[in-house]
Amino acid sequence: MIHATRELAVVAAVAALLASGEAVAQQIRAKAEVTCRPAPDVLEYDCTVTLTNARTRAPLPGVELTIGADMPSMPGAHSVAPVKTAPGAAPGTYQGRLALEMHGDWALSLNLAGPLRDRVVKVLRFEPDSVGEPAARTAPGRRPRH
Amino acid sequence: MDDYLVGVLSNIGVVSFVALSAYLLLLTGAISFGQQAFFAIGAYAAGVATALWGWPLAAALALGAAVSAAAAAAVGLPTLRLHGLYFAVATLAFAEMVRLLFELARYQVEIDGELVGPNGADGFRGIRYIFEHDLGPLQFLALIYGLLAAVLIGFMLMERSRLGVALRMVGEDEVLASLNGIAVARLKILAAGLAGALAGLGGGLYAHLTTYVEPRMFDVMLGVHSLAYGLIGGLGTAFGPLVGVLIDIGLLESIRPLAGYRMIVFGGLVALLLIARPRGLLDEAAVHWLQRAWRPRRRP
Repeated sequence: MIHATRELAVVAAVAALLASGEAVAQQIRAKAEVTCRPAPDVLEYDCTVTLTNARTRAPLPGVELTIGADMPSMPGAHSVAPVKTAPGAAPGTYQGRLALEMHGDWALSLNLAGPLRDRVVKVLRFEPDSVGEPAARTAPGRRPRH
Repeated sequence: MDDYLVGVLSNIGVVSFVALSAYLLLLTGAISFGQQAFFAIGAYAAGVATALWGWPLAAALALGAAVSAAAAAAVGLPTLRLHGLYFAVATLAFAEMVRLLFELARYQVEIDGELVGPNGADGFRGIRYIFEHDLGPLQFLALIYGLLAAVLIGFMLMERSRLGVALRMVGEDEVLASLNGIAVARLKILAAGLAGALAGLGGGLYAHLTTYVEPRMFDVMLGVHSLAYGLIGGLGTAFGPLVGVLIDIGLLESIRPLAGYRMIVFGGLVALLLIARPRGLLDEAAVHWLQRAWRPRRRP
């Protein structure tokens, strides 16, 4: 009987969570532009993120922004703990330094907290001396190198 | 709780679904390298349902599980007569076919001036349900583990039922099971469908957790890992694959200071583990011993 009550409690909690998802709707959607360049140390990159309101294109200042990174070809196996960013000179810009584990395609997860909660994902290809579009887009059918 | 820790725990929970999916097939003696395909189908279906069609999360997850179950049953039917390596290769081929199809699939809708939806190799981003509906990381973590607990309870009930016994009989010897009156073909398709549903449910949760999926995420590496979880953790109980996931993701996180060498260290540790315990940590003997130790002793 006790076990049955516990099971029912778990089911009820999950059902409540699923239902609660219908209640609140957040209207603002963030849009992000990311530019990265190699830092002096190997596998480190300085990244600048520009956040705007996707609808109005107005800059989004005052956001707590962290940047995490994961390799799309090996999800979870090579992930980088999110680094905090500092506000840049222009409104809506944020800067942070990423330390990656290897070169290749990385999906940057831009996590917004504070007044606006959102996540924007950008996939970039990190080479020793440059950062650009991932291989999957520049050469269809070609497997990225790791 | 630290957001990063919540993220790692969420990953462990979500990957457990695909691990349990591979485990369910292992019970019937089927070695599948293709469960990542159903994980992908569930991820894309559930993502499309919430991001493009505005479905509630529960309905989207159910859709992902249902579509994956149907796909898995459809694969199970023509591969019924295949065993061992042949079945493994067939499932791997199907998984690669699904991944390549997602690399070609494009279905986008403009939302707030941006195109959202699957876009071939560029992936599918903007699955923002948890942000649009103000579901916090801890709430989503509770949802993942609530569903995982429900699945585990289902496994525990199944393993004590005639169905569980029949599945293990099929896994041990199909001919003998058939001679004992078990409808082997029906049971194998049922197991394939249920395993597909489990993987699809996990995929749906994964898509909403990360808000982004792309075909590369669902390549053979995920399939090999999901199979390895059961082999590392043990096939004696449904908790075995979860132990495997904990060892994989937990260990990778704990040896993070070794950075780029983590996978080599992890591979070595797994090899040593399998030499010491070939049927995994929680094999049948270990489960039997634990059950005897756990069971209250009767007074004479």
